[in-house]
Amino acid sequence: MRLFLHLIKLSILEQATYRTALVAGLVTNFFWGFFRAAVIVALYNGRSEVNGLTLEGALTYIAIGQAMIAFLSLFGTFDLMTTVYSGSIASDLIRPVPLFVLWMARDLGHSLVNLVVRGLLLLLFFALFYPVVMPESLLGWVWTILALAASWLVSYAWRFLVNLAAFWTPDARGIGRGAYALSQLASGFIIPLRLYPEWFSRLCHLTPFPAMFNTGVEVYLGVVSGSQLGWALGVQGMWFIVLVFLSQIILRAGIRKLVIQGG
Amino acid sequence: MSPIISVQHLYKRFKILQRRPGLGGALVNLLSPRYSEVSAVQDVSFELEEGEVVGYLGPNGAGKSTTIKVLTGLLVPTSGEVHINGKVPWLERERYVREIGAIFGYRSTLWWDLPVIDSLELLQPMYRIPAERFRSNLREFSRLLDLDSFLNTPVRSLSLGQRMRADLCAALIHEPRLLFLDEPTIGLDVIAKEHIRQFILHVNRQRGVTVLLTTHDLADVERLCERVMILDRGRLLFDGSLTMLNHRFESTWTLHVDFEVEYEDVSLPGMDPPVRQGLHAEYHFDHRQVTSAELITRLLEKFRIRDLEVRRPPLEETIRRIYREKLLIN
Repeated sequence: MRLFLHLIKLSILEQATYRTALVAGLVTNFFWGFFRAAVIVALYNGRSEVNGLTLEGALTYIAIGQAMIAFLSLFGTFDLMTTVYSGSIASDLIRPVPLFVLWMARDLGHSLVNLVVRGLLLLLFFALFYPVVMPESLLGWVWTILALAASWLVSYAWRFLVNLAAFWTPDARGIGRGAYALSQLASGFIIPLRLYPEWFSRLCHLTPFPAMFNTGVEVYLGVVSGSQLGWALGVQGMWFIVLVFLSQIILRAGIRKLVIQGG
Repeated sequence: MSPIISVQHLYKRFKILQRRPGLGGALVNLLSPRYSEVSAVQDVSFELEEGEVVGYLGPNGAGKSTTIKVLTGLLVPTSGEVHINGKVPWLERERYVREIGAIFGYRSTLWWDLPVIDSLELLQPMYRIPAERFRSNLREFSRLLDLDSFLNTPVRSLSLGQRMRADLCAALIHEPRLLFLDEPTIGLDVIAKEHIRQFILHVNRQRGVTVLLTTHDLADVERLCERVMILDRGRLLFDGSLTMLNHRFESTWTLHVDFEVEYEDVSLPGMDPPVRQGLHAEYHFDHRQVTSAELITRLLEKFRIRDLEVRRPPLEETIRRIYREKLLIN
């Protein structure tokens, strides 16, 4: 645990050295959010509610989505993949830390910096221009934090799994891009799941992707409430465990096939 | 005492995708990939005793790095047995790597954007090194490797020599019994190389660390290793002491002579005539047929001599001959 915290600390320090990139990311996410909000306003076309989601709710959904892009790495990550191709994975394998844990700490450190810089700041800016809803009670915040933490876990486990493709093919980036496009679509990031046709959103709920994003936002908005909360978080936990289990089996097979490049 | 490293009949074969040229070729590749097999390591067996420093030599592509990667648990061999510290590296890698240190010369284990000290301090909880022990090791290694001046510098701003010294510290701070070095002096200047060699000797002498190193710099070998193994095209060609290697392969020695006065003829019966330049002459001779003492005695009997020097060919020359002439392949 001390090691894990230490790794997170280093990773935070590391991420904090990329100040320009952080600011650039913030600006980009902010302007895209503006665009998407405008589209939502046009789609609602005067209606105040669609499928149980109010206009304010939908706008907040967009705002949260833009704020979480970096925290939840919704566009995906290719870091582990890159180390396989460059051979620098050797430096990680030579250390007595499971690859899953090592990358989890690194990823979490980066995510936490992004949560503050590209998450909270963006939300604040956004609130200046659009109505942004907040959880009404302290308990609401607690559930939100739990649900977003669980979203992060599912997102991390999913991305770890996708990166493992690099053990099998010399260009897993294409696979990665496809996989992340799918997870963006089915997690509700592009369009809130409630605004999809019912058959499609039901299909999405059979995958782990809503647990990566949609659940967190709906808990924040209070759309999911009361007895549904426990269930929603349970589903997130279940998907995390499934993904971890799957990735460990695949990692084991992958390491046997691994060719360390270079030298 | 049982050996600390035991390698028996190690084989590693790689499948390599053969790419066909052109766009059509790329399409065919996708549908029916064609592989060729390359044997990187073939039937390699050796043992290392605790406390040895062994040089693992061979031309590029000989299989040195592949062997090191298998021994450090990074690669699973095609067949063969490896026992190190009583463990099979690739079967229990995470536990096994606690007991070893490793350096791959061309890459770093340090956090690129952070000060050196941050990467080093991470190792304390990682290897669960007692805090006091960690401090004293860090102090000792900083002194020996001269790290103090750049401990707070980000790794990306270090010179290659500084980075390598920091990496050595990171490889040894958890006090492994075994150290694997894959080209530890690659690309360094003479002073940096010497610094690193001294440090390796120190940890070997003072702490009894067993060292297996690959290098292309034979000065490393002459300075550090009593024993060398030579690998070519995946096969182990030679395994023995440096003295033995010299004895077997460096046949032609040279005797340099400076005469007091000019002589018409300085050749010796039964010897090749020397190469002459003024008062200076060089006699090439096979030291296995005639000893240098015998040669010198004969010269002193016939001529007035001011100076004598026996030169053995540099190790480099010997190794080059072994690679080139495939002297070891039967």
